Amino acid sequence: MTKGTRAGGILAGTLAVALLAGACSDDGSTTSGGSGGGGTGVASGEIVVSGSSTVEPISAFVAELFRESNPDVTITVEGPGTGDGFELFCGGETDISDASRPIEEEEAKACKDAGIEYVELEIALDGITVMTSPVNDAATCLNLGDLYALLGPESEGFGTWSDADALAQEVGGTGGFPDAPLDVTGPGEESGTYDAIIDLAGIEDTALDQGVSEDAAGALRPDYQSSPNDNVIIQGIEGSDSSLGWVGFAYAQNAGEGVKELEIDGGDGCVAPTFDTIADASYPLSRSLYIYVNTAKVAENAALAAYVDYYLSDEGISSVSEAGYVDLPADRLEAARSTWSGM
Amino acid sequence: MIASPIDLSGSPARHRRERLVRGAFFGAAALSVVVSAAIVASLLGRAVTFALDVEPGALWTDGWSPRRGQYDLRTIMGGTLMVTAISMVVATPLGLGAAIYLSEYAGPRARRRLKPIIEILAGIPSVVMGFFALAIVAPELVQRLWDSAPLFTLMAAGIAVGILVTPLVASIAEDAMHAVPSALREASVGLGARRMTTTLRVVVPAALSGIVAALIIGVSRAVGETMVVAMAAGGTGSAQGFLPLEPGQTMTGAMASLATGSDQVKGAELTFEAIFFVGMLLFVLTFSLNVVSERFVRRYRNRY
Amino acid sequence: MATVVPTSSATAAVERALRGRRGDWKGVAFQAALLATLVTALLILTVLIGDVIRTGLPVFRERGVDFIRSDLSSFAVRAGVWQGILGSATLMIFVVAIAFPVGIGAAVYIEEYARDTRLTRLINANIRNLAGVPSIVYGLLGLAIFVKALGAVTGPDVEGRSLISAGLTLAIMVLPIVIITSAEALRAVPQSIREAGYGVGATRWEVIRSHVLPYAAPGILTGTVLSLARAMGETAPLILVGATTGFLGSNAGFFESFSERFTALPIIIFRWASLPDERFRALTAAAIMVLLAVLLLMNSVAIVLRNRYDRKW
Repeated sequence: MTKGTRAGGILAGTLAVALLAGACSDDGSTTSGGSGGGGTGVASGEIVVSGSSTVEPISAFVAELFRESNPDVTITVEGPGTGDGFELFCGGETDISDASRPIEEEEAKACKDAGIEYVELEIALDGITVMTSPVNDAATCLNLGDLYALLGPESEGFGTWSDADALAQEVGGTGGFPDAPLDVTGPGEESGTYDAIIDLAGIEDTALDQGVSEDAAGALRPDYQSSPNDNVIIQGIEGSDSSLGWVGFAYAQNAGEGVKELEIDGGDGCVAPTFDTIADASYPLSRSLYIYVNTAKVAENAALAAYVDYYLSDEGISSVSEAGYVDLPADRLEAARSTWSGM
Repeated sequence: MIASPIDLSGSPARHRRERLVRGAFFGAAALSVVVSAAIVASLLGRAVTFALDVEPGALWTDGWSPRRGQYDLRTIMGGTLMVTAISMVVATPLGLGAAIYLSEYAGPRARRRLKPIIEILAGIPSVVMGFFALAIVAPELVQRLWDSAPLFTLMAAGIAVGILVTPLVASIAEDAMHAVPSALREASVGLGARRMTTTLRVVVPAALSGIVAALIIGVSRAVGETMVVAMAAGGTGSAQGFLPLEPGQTMTGAMASLATGSDQVKGAELTFEAIFFVGMLLFVLTFSLNVVSERFVRRYRNRY
Repeated sequence: MATVVPTSSATAAVERALRGRRGDWKGVAFQAALLATLVTALLILTVLIGDVIRTGLPVFRERGVDFIRSDLSSFAVRAGVWQGILGSATLMIFVVAIAFPVGIGAAVYIEEYARDTRLTRLINANIRNLAGVPSIVYGLLGLAIFVKALGAVTGPDVEGRSLISAGLTLAIMVLPIVIITSAEALRAVPQSIREAGYGVGATRWEVIRSHVLPYAAPGILTGTVLSLARAMGETAPLILVGATTGFLGSNAGFFESFSERFTALPIIIFRWASLPDERFRALTAAAIMVLLAVLLLMNSVAIVLRNRYDRKW
């Protein structure tokens, strides 16, 4: 053997040994806490969770805590979007679908056709925070009509806030917008937050009243800067002096000084989004967050059952506030628990 | 003892082993052809499916929004063009300047000290460059120079891609200039030309095909760059227009964006197939650029 | 080497003699401008690495090696890159196991066995073109072929988006580069070495095995280590093949992990860089430090190998 091949051999050998040593010593290596934090049994198996990027942080927290006492369970949590999540779920590819809106009829039908049965569990409350730039003094409170005029399907092409004035007057909005560029940034169609604002702000209903066709009524104006990445949205709002955008409440909390939250008037006066106003639903754009669990898979997969048990337990559900979302009121949590235990 | 020819022919076992080994090596080489074929086949099939099923109007509509069935090629190709153009504005002076200096001006000691700069820059992975674009280029450079620019822009991505491409341009151009025989330089100096004149009037024209090849390869690399764009250009699922000081989308970014969704999205069934179509376009584009640059490389290699 | 670059003092002396005392400010300005490009490149590098270290060092100061040994987490104080390191390391093993034998073998065939026919020239051109294909297209190839093929094998939760698919994809991506660098190393072997071997009656394979390969080994080794470093930093193909960008908690043993969902160091960097939480910014920088350190190590190994085993025959 010559030096060259020997060197190569040594290199390869060392690499292999180092890797194997490292790999073999990696059993159950979550750092803090170790075992002993709650969870009863020690399960093993595989769980795949996908869906809403809003619910993703909650599910990821729960997964981590769950694994402290059940290290042999493999869990993946992803957040491509509520709609994408349901596609995977109804294709049988995921065990749990996170959702920031209830399942739609077409999706439910798709699941039914594929033979997928599920249970819907409400796990948290969230709000949609509508934001603008801090230097935009002209806007402090918008009502639902204003939202329709600025974001709805008929607003395509409105380049300034004042372009939306006429439409706002028509649908009962306050109007009186400044003549400043309307830079809209928000989630796109893959996101549950997109559907949620259409639903909660009554955009679809208003559109149908206005005579917009059914296909177009359930959509926002197509000409805004959309992104599935909340970071991009917040940056987009910070980047313009007269911007307009919306994200989930928890992300807005993290956004800090660069954005200004707007109050929303749902008919009972202007309400700002806070933990309390979302908890008691006085904030008009409040919504629930759900997880949808594949019941057939629960029967076969003990780890999955244990995970959902843990999710709804006091310890697991504390992840909701950890992640910055609003806890369910006690009675709704009990209702979810009894739905689950009734399986 | 005189060996007879029969003794020289060797044992059958040796010959068998020889043939086996040769066959194994041939198989390895043939694999490369198989890989090319596989790339083309895998892309072609599904790209054709997409091309046949999609409405032609959707390819020329108001913006790239696959989930809504809008597959405006102008938007993403324009985005690619914009990022590539900006990156070449950065990489051409930096890369060629460095190449000329290293080849014509730097003595061996200076070369030893300065060349590593380029080599280290070449080793920076694109995901790190994407972070750099987001953390430094966008806030400190783009937003300082253009007040109203948002954080995610094609400009920031373009500048970062330019930095990424610079070492490639520099090393190929330097190779080309190094290959110019010093007889040419010496003749020029002998006629009284100063170094700048020799460089610009003699060496650069002599190495021109190599320099052009370097630039074309730089363009090809910029066209194919994904991570910087995905991280810093606003990587949005949908995009309209491709102004440099706005967020935007390129062909590669669109593919990455589609890949992180699910296979089928409600409404638009062709969404996932679009990834193969765009991939096919990308492959054809970069392949053509590489073939063209090959021609130029052959020209300068053959000359000297 | 035959070319001799005129030294600056000789050139300058000739210039001065020919021109008289007139200053050459244009030339100096030109030279300064060229040097400035290198200075700019150095500046960019310094700012980049400086910022990464400045942002990421506090993580190591607070948590030390714990950062490297921790798993992914939504809690910024606990998150670590261990799963990424394991994933990347496993991928590198795949690349070594697949791309190196095939690549070196192909190079040996092209340089030692093949006659200079149109077919060989075509294969050569083909390989050079493959080296220039963007990495995301290789990811597409991996998606279309490996993920699809392994879908059944890996089960419904994974659907082929496993380490095996990713490893194969990266191996194929790196293959052309390995072939090209190995072929260059083989071409550099003087013909006299081979002729010496034939002269004593060795077959072609015996000559290659005992004379050519040992001579070319340092060059081949350097090239392969460098292509490994290149593969380590690649992210786009991994995204296409389905690396997990969310949370991944797994206790699978080494060989089981091949057919599971996976992550890798560059993917973690990609993911953390897009999180709005400010604390993850420091984590991203720290993860980049780890990646750059590994790449630095690989490149240093390559340089050391090249210098140590490069001998004149």
